[in-house]
Amino acid sequence: MAAVAEAGPRSRRVRDLFEDRRFLAPALIGPAALFILLLVGAPLVLAVYLSMTDATAGQLSGKFVWFNNFVDAWHNDNFRRALRNTIIFTLASQAIVLVGAGILAHALVRPFRGRWFLRLLVLLPWAAPVAVSTIGFLWIFDSQFSVVNWTLVHDLMPGGGHFYLYRPVNWVLGGIDHLPWVHVGKIDRLNPPQWLGQPTLAMVAIIFVQAWRILPFATVIFIAGLSSIPTEVNDAAKVDGATGLRKFWHVTLPLQLPIATVALLFGIVFTATDMTVVYILTSGGPFNSTHMLTTWAYQTGIVSSNLGEGAAISLYLLPVLLVVTVLMLRFARRVEVS
Amino acid sequence: MAENDDGLEELGLSKSLTRRQVLRRSVGGFLVLYGGALPKVAAAGVPKYVHKHYRNTLKIIQWSHFVPAYDVWFDKTYTKNWGNKHDTDVQVDHIALAQLPARAQAEVAARSGHDIFGHLSPQAGLEDQVINHKEIIQEVSRKVGKVSQVGFKSCYNPKTRKWHGFPENYVPDPIHFRRDLWSQVGIKPSTWEDVRKAAPKLKALGHPVGLGMSNELDSNMLLIALMQCYGAFIQNAHARPAINSKHTIEALKMVRDIYKRGMTNEVFAWTAASNNQGYLSGRLSLAVNAISIIRSAEDANPSLAKNTSVAPIPRGPIQRLGLEHVMGVYTIWKFSKQKALAKRFIADLEINYQGAFKNSKFYNFPAFRGAVHNYARQLAADPHKGKYKVLDLIARKYTANLGYPGFSNAAIDEIFNTWLIPQMFAQVAQGKMTPAEAAKAAQQEFRPIFAKWRSRGKI
Amino acid sequence: MWSTLRERGLSYLIVGPFAIVLAFPFYWMLVTAFKTNGDLYNLDNVPFTYHKSEAALGEKFSFRHDHWLPFGFENATPSHVGFIFNDTNYLRWVENTAVVGGLVVLITLLFAVPAGYSLARLSGRWGQSVGVGIFLTYLVPPTLLFLPLSRVISKLGLQDRLWSLVLVYPSFTIPFATWLLMGFFRTIPAELEDAALIDGCSRLKALARVIFPISIPGILTVVIFSFSLCVNEFVYAITFISGTKQHTISAGVPTDLIRGDVYFWQSLMAATLIPSILLALLYNTFLNRFIAGFTGGAFR
Repeated sequence: MAAVAEAGPRSRRVRDLFEDRRFLAPALIGPAALFILLLVGAPLVLAVYLSMTDATAGQLSGKFVWFNNFVDAWHNDNFRRALRNTIIFTLASQAIVLVGAGILAHALVRPFRGRWFLRLLVLLPWAAPVAVSTIGFLWIFDSQFSVVNWTLVHDLMPGGGHFYLYRPVNWVLGGIDHLPWVHVGKIDRLNPPQWLGQPTLAMVAIIFVQAWRILPFATVIFIAGLSSIPTEVNDAAKVDGATGLRKFWHVTLPLQLPIATVALLFGIVFTATDMTVVYILTSGGPFNSTHMLTTWAYQTGIVSSNLGEGAAISLYLLPVLLVVTVLMLRFARRVEVS
Repeated sequence: MAENDDGLEELGLSKSLTRRQVLRRSVGGFLVLYGGALPKVAAAGVPKYVHKHYRNTLKIIQWSHFVPAYDVWFDKTYTKNWGNKHDTDVQVDHIALAQLPARAQAEVAARSGHDIFGHLSPQAGLEDQVINHKEIIQEVSRKVGKVSQVGFKSCYNPKTRKWHGFPENYVPDPIHFRRDLWSQVGIKPSTWEDVRKAAPKLKALGHPVGLGMSNELDSNMLLIALMQCYGAFIQNAHARPAINSKHTIEALKMVRDIYKRGMTNEVFAWTAASNNQGYLSGRLSLAVNAISIIRSAEDANPSLAKNTSVAPIPRGPIQRLGLEHVMGVYTIWKFSKQKALAKRFIADLEINYQGAFKNSKFYNFPAFRGAVHNYARQLAADPHKGKYKVLDLIARKYTANLGYPGFSNAAIDEIFNTWLIPQMFAQVAQGKMTPAEAAKAAQQEFRPIFAKWRSRGKI
Repeated sequence: MWSTLRERGLSYLIVGPFAIVLAFPFYWMLVTAFKTNGDLYNLDNVPFTYHKSEAALGEKFSFRHDHWLPFGFENATPSHVGFIFNDTNYLRWVENTAVVGGLVVLITLLFAVPAGYSLARLSGRWGQSVGVGIFLTYLVPPTLLFLPLSRVISKLGLQDRLWSLVLVYPSFTIPFATWLLMGFFRTIPAELEDAALIDGCSRLKALARVIFPISIPGILTVVIFSFSLCVNEFVYAITFISGTKQHTISAGVPTDLIRGDVYFWQSLMAATLIPSILLALLYNTFLNRFIAGFTGGAFR
């Protein structure tokens, strides 16, 4: 694919070089690869080294203990719970995001009056810096002043009707209690739920916040996917008589799978590697029951000064995410092709 | 590209074109206005503020004091005056309490940072990264007298004979209680038994007591202090874990009883601010906290402040002994290039502690008792009718160091920083473990921690 | 007509609840930002309206005489919102965040556009694997990396300077952007370039003259994503920079508005609202172009 250069021989050679795919490709990737190698790769190697030593308190060296840290981490109950929590939080929040974003995107694709404003509202959680918006949730879920509890427990129509929100909620909860394996209890008016103080509720709160902040992001991705369905496909479907639910099932859903996979992948990465939400909301409490791998690694490595162990715990995350990512990318590509 | 637009139009996505243009223009204008920000901010990114007058630079980092006026005094008045006298540009940075450990470790890893690092608890774990602060101790002792026991046992490591920090101040931890409510139930919180008796009555009034059992600073301090009152300790004087004792079991039973009859499960979800806020809302009838509560009440709710009494920690069956709420410890890194100047600064600050004592509204008590004169008179002169006089008594008699009866050490630090005591109490209160089981489990949890630091020669 | 009415009704029915749940915290923040301390910490008060209370230190009742205001707003105070502008370096933080974000976006584009193009067009089979490989570096959490990076930052003399963030942030925006652009470039038909090349352009010129204009939507996508990643970043911002004038929003707000055990809730709420609304407006405005970026994106 040589282009014909018209200048003198020397500059022609340089230009030819730039034309040569074998030179150009690495030359273009080079800077990015070098940057990443230096700023991510090198510290990562150092972190791997640390995880195999008994380093403490900031000193970046220590005696080699090989895989002791990894084994010790595994034997710690808190670690296993952190691993379980990472999986639960990620899957639960992303399931909510997937379903929610799918529905919301469908509704937002068609124009209607006020759509711009409603879209603005939908975008707010993603636009807010996560650290400060989570602090806001700390107040929303506060142990004494939680607005959620206030709304549940107080008379919302003091003038006339006397409506208490916790009554219909308790009715629903009572129904759920009839299901096997599930026991949720009821809302006690005098002792409203401790959103950040009871282990199960704290997990619910964290899952909610993660889903809340990722939903707009996923919605935008879904809207993009929907708008990429070529109009011919829509028309063809109409011609074939497929409308509404059938069209959704046979046409829209399959075409959305690739984009859904992408949204899911990003969502999983953002949630599983995130430390901020759990750190700010519960710091891993109550009794270390809401730790994720990231926060448990932080607590072990920084707060308790066991740097080597902290590094080892962080590294557990990498292979898990690696497997997930590779699987999903393969899946996306296969679905694309078909 | 045109097809794309058509497609978008069909989907109705280009209707907001005009709106977008309007917004784009205003955003553009905003950016132009702030275009000047780029060089300005870049220049401001240079912390080495090139001050022509000063020969030296001294960098300090410490927490944002809950009394904002203290930071204003420290940053703008005290350090500037000191800096002028010593031809030094003193730069003070602040950091949130929760970020102190991360920042400290980052500076150690980076081998560069601030010359003086202000922690809020003794940092025995960082012993190897800091100098021996002996000289400063000696200098200050020469001028104002000996360091208090609290300071000594917080910052000195008897094993390595090293002062791993300079104890600058400590904050006494009184109880705040509502005089009017407690007189309604006819009890005074002088002993923990009184608290146990009063708790259900106060809860019935709608004003429960507030003893936190959560992963936060206040709960940590309160529960360890309560244990001390019952003769239960994390370690003994020889730095061996000693938590499995009948005293611990009794303390656990007591708190469980108070919880069951007098509190709700919100206390497991508390943050450091929760007891403050609960008390300020008028709901709690008792809180164990530094004077940040009553100082806030004086500002926001004067009638509440009038009804509030400040008193020492209630007596337990063995003794009346509390802990410092926080202890201000200054450390100088080994890699600092201004060690002499830093030592001078710290020494001068401590010797002339009067300013800090007053400007912190009596929150900061100097760890060298002689650094301030006439405690009683100053505290009594506070416009709030002598309420604070009792702080002197608490600071003198009823404040022990973390790790009492032993010294503060890295193992204590780790147990403290990972909230093991509040968790122990919480699990018993919630019925997840019996007191005997919990004490035993705690002992087993503490043993490897102590063994680890012992093997590193720090205990 | 009936069907469009039904469709529209359906749209509101679906979007409405979502918008309420997603935006409610921000409405709550707006209400809380103007509350007085006495009102806020009173458990008996309705949280959504304002109630009379004693003024705490520094609170001014600016609306005292405007009894026509709804929700009891005459009992509100703007002092806590004013606090962040008068008594903290909030505007500085916003500036810093914007500048860091802008610079990082530029750097990201500088590195990622060529890399993405190369992987899409020029690399053949190994391009796919390198593409996935680049994305995977994104999976290393900063809880691990910030310590060794501190050492790098200090060796370069960048400690406590915004340039440290400008240097480090691209490490997580570039992989992401490269991967995104790679997918995007792959969807641009090769015929466009070939046409330019046949006309005598060099490859680089073809890249600049033909590809670049078409890929504006893709680039805008990268801009928005990278910027939002920078604004959200917390761990590095807190640990690399300690001077309050050099903080970004994520670092400055927890440091100056949370003092020990006293949280300045009203100020915290206001400090969250302002960048959120600004950024949401920005994103919403560019959303159409952004969608086109994805449309062309990785999945054709």
